[in-house]
Amino acid sequence: MFEFLLHVAIMACLYGMLALSLNLQVGFAGLINFGQIILFGAGTYGAALAFANGFGPVAGLALGVAFSTAIAVAFAQLGRNLGADYWGIATLAVAEVLRILITNEVDLTGGAQGIAGIPLIFGDWPRPVGPLMTLGLCLVILLAAWWFCRRLTESRFGLALKLIREEPMLALSLGYDLNAARTATLVVAGAMAALSGFVFAHYVTFVGPDQLVAAETFLIWAMVIIGGSGNHLGAIVGAILMQFLFAFVPFVKDAFGAPAEYVAAMRLTLVGGGLLVFLMWRTQGLIPERIGDARPAPATGRPAAARMVEKHNG
Amino acid sequence: MAEMAAETVLQGTGIAKAFGAHQVLSDVRFRVADGEIVGLLGPNGSGKSTLLNIVSGFSRADAGEIRFRGAGLSGLAAHAIARRGLVRTFQLPSMPTRMSVRQVLAAGSRDGAGLVEAFLRRQADDPEVETLLDQFALSAVAHQPASSLSGGQKKLLSIALALRTRPSLLCLDEPTAGVHPQLRSRMVELLRAFNARGVAMLVVEHDMHFIRELCSRCIVLDRGEIIADCPPAQLAENERVVEAYLGKSVERPKVLS
Amino acid sequence: MIQFVIDVVIRSVDLALIAIGLSSVYSLIRFPNVTLVQYATTGALVALGLQMLGLPLIVAGLLACVFVGAVAVVLNVLIFERLLTAGSAIAMIGSLALSMVFSAVFLVTAGPRPQRFELDLNPPIRFLGARFTDHQLISVVISALAIAAFALILFRTDLGRCMRATATNPVLARGTGINTRRVTNVVVFLSGIMAALGGIGISVKGEMSAHLGMEMLLPIFAAAILGGLGNALGAALGAVVIAVAETLVTNVNFGPLVGESFLFVPAAYATAASFLLLVIVLLVRPHGLFVSEVKRV
Repeated sequence: MFEFLLHVAIMACLYGMLALSLNLQVGFAGLINFGQIILFGAGTYGAALAFANGFGPVAGLALGVAFSTAIAVAFAQLGRNLGADYWGIATLAVAEVLRILITNEVDLTGGAQGIAGIPLIFGDWPRPVGPLMTLGLCLVILLAAWWFCRRLTESRFGLALKLIREEPMLALSLGYDLNAARTATLVVAGAMAALSGFVFAHYVTFVGPDQLVAAETFLIWAMVIIGGSGNHLGAIVGAILMQFLFAFVPFVKDAFGAPAEYVAAMRLTLVGGGLLVFLMWRTQGLIPERIGDARPAPATGRPAAARMVEKHNG
Repeated sequence: MAEMAAETVLQGTGIAKAFGAHQVLSDVRFRVADGEIVGLLGPNGSGKSTLLNIVSGFSRADAGEIRFRGAGLSGLAAHAIARRGLVRTFQLPSMPTRMSVRQVLAAGSRDGAGLVEAFLRRQADDPEVETLLDQFALSAVAHQPASSLSGGQKKLLSIALALRTRPSLLCLDEPTAGVHPQLRSRMVELLRAFNARGVAMLVVEHDMHFIRELCSRCIVLDRGEIIADCPPAQLAENERVVEAYLGKSVERPKVLS
Repeated sequence: MIQFVIDVVIRSVDLALIAIGLSSVYSLIRFPNVTLVQYATTGALVALGLQMLGLPLIVAGLLACVFVGAVAVVLNVLIFERLLTAGSAIAMIGSLALSMVFSAVFLVTAGPRPQRFELDLNPPIRFLGARFTDHQLISVVISALAIAAFALILFRTDLGRCMRATATNPVLARGTGINTRRVTNVVVFLSGIMAALGGIGISVKGEMSAHLGMEMLLPIFAAAILGGLGNALGAALGAVVIAVAETLVTNVNFGPLVGESFLFVPAAYATAASFLLLVIVLLVRPHGLFVSEVKRV
């Protein structure tokens, strides 16, 4: 049980990174990205391909970030003339195309079987020390990412993003290059996702295209919306909550003696139902915005990302 | 006179624009000299806003050339033109709902707004923001969401934002439309003050009082063509101008469009 | 060659029904409703269930379509009208979330394994060197009739006129006395029927699975966007283009191009082809290949 909890905690940290990354895009830059998981995949396959070709983990990380940057730039270019919802569909389509490509190009990527045997992080240490150290590392990385995001969004860059997001015409008239801001945000968020993927690859020791299905993107979306978008702490809380709920679904299923497909069904309900409930009735998520002058956030129909923020994002 | 000797900050020649079959601008030629305040007048539909949009890069002309401080502007994106020092305001200024007035003003300057600078520099509060808040009588509402301001206050805020970028030429799109007379006179004061510091201005307006108080010269558009280019005092004597306004007195009531 | 055409027709009819539903509803609700593809699965599921209860296929199909249409309206009123107050992007995300809940329900009721309708097995028909089954033929005919009926409603009835008026300018339409909310819900009802019919058609020709809808998501979006969202006719043509692309990609022998006797693109790339096409269209002509009535991207 302890080792299981350790595993869930590690995964929660990795998903936390992904949620922080998506939140940066959605909650701050207004980028409705439905291809988030492929940025994660850039990291996993970067690690795997480096390993498969005899390079060390540093090269793997570099390769992963290089892949994610390329995809992020491509996404940004897609967004030049597209409205938010169309762009979301486009990112979903690109992510799926890449996943299909990975699944079929067996020579390049190992195909559907993926690539296994990636060196386990802290593998030389006995259990449970190794996994404990991995958890420690993941916590450190998560906290660093959190600090990074806060620093970014509380800075002038963050203010600029807000302005661009809410009043793009005004921002243009003041000299802001919308495309450059969009690209910068996507590249940074992509690198975070790739880092998460890199660590993931060295933890589960294998990568495959099944890890990159669209359902994963939707899970990360649920984490961001339920936790509270436009709000870094919310993203982390959402990730931890959803990850632990997910992990315990199989136990619930066993307790009720339900057949195997109930696991998937319950998880789908958690993600879809949770997302829907929050979008309809608690748009600010679990962790609402902290308003600087202590006025409560108005309960408008718009999500937290559309709320006024005085100074702090949690 | 002194005007002719001054540097040309903005010059347009042969500007034409059609929307479908409707020719909105034909062969428009105009000039704004350094430090001038030029009014751009005309009845509704004469093409004033279109011209402003073309000059500021929010619309593309079908033909013609625009030179800003000697360099061509054609093909440049709106943000690039703004960076060169040609900044415009909007007729209906829409302001963010999740930013306070102070934050919006802070975001108005692109200094230090880059990604890398976000980490290298601890962002200190900019004293200029406080000065502007004071000058534009927005200190009392500085902490409120920018979208909660009154229409007139939003116009003042948009002018403050534009001026913050240190433009050489400020293009104002109907700054007094819907603005309380008291705020309007403050606007005139502020614009005069900034003009004295060297900011040239091109003002699209209907309000003749405002024009007379501020502009040294007026360009009048009617159905896409320039029909007059003279000081405000001479407008009433200009038959074509009077005719363009359908024979009514040139002192039109303020128009809310 | 004839077989190619037959294959394209069979495939495009399925896509067209759902894509037309998506497109016409879009022009009124102003956001792409992902749940529509799940209505297709629901139609197939309900029809299958009714057939298992003993009803003849035609009756089961009809009842299923009406049921799904009703469900679509209920969900529109209860959920989407509310979501829309927060904006179209939120409404789209909400529709995605609702689709997931649908998937959960499908998994639990139908199970993860695909199922088949009870059909008489007849030898395939041969026509001009091509082969197809009688079920395919009937399905195509019914679908074509449904599309024709929809087109008739859209262009020849008062309702259709109200629809088009509301789509072009809702405020003005309301001003002329059109009950835009009711018109919208009628279109939602019709699109639900179309989607259900499409789902039944696909399942009859192959199999019904819980994943039917989500698998079709991107090809249907591709078809609707290609034709220009809001342009029902365009959606039909878009469906043909997608079907052609998918069939071409997997059936054409690229061998001679690279100096080998046989080089076929794997079947999995058929879907990738339509997704890529979607991305390219979004990049180059986001309003669709044809002029659409709703110019908003």
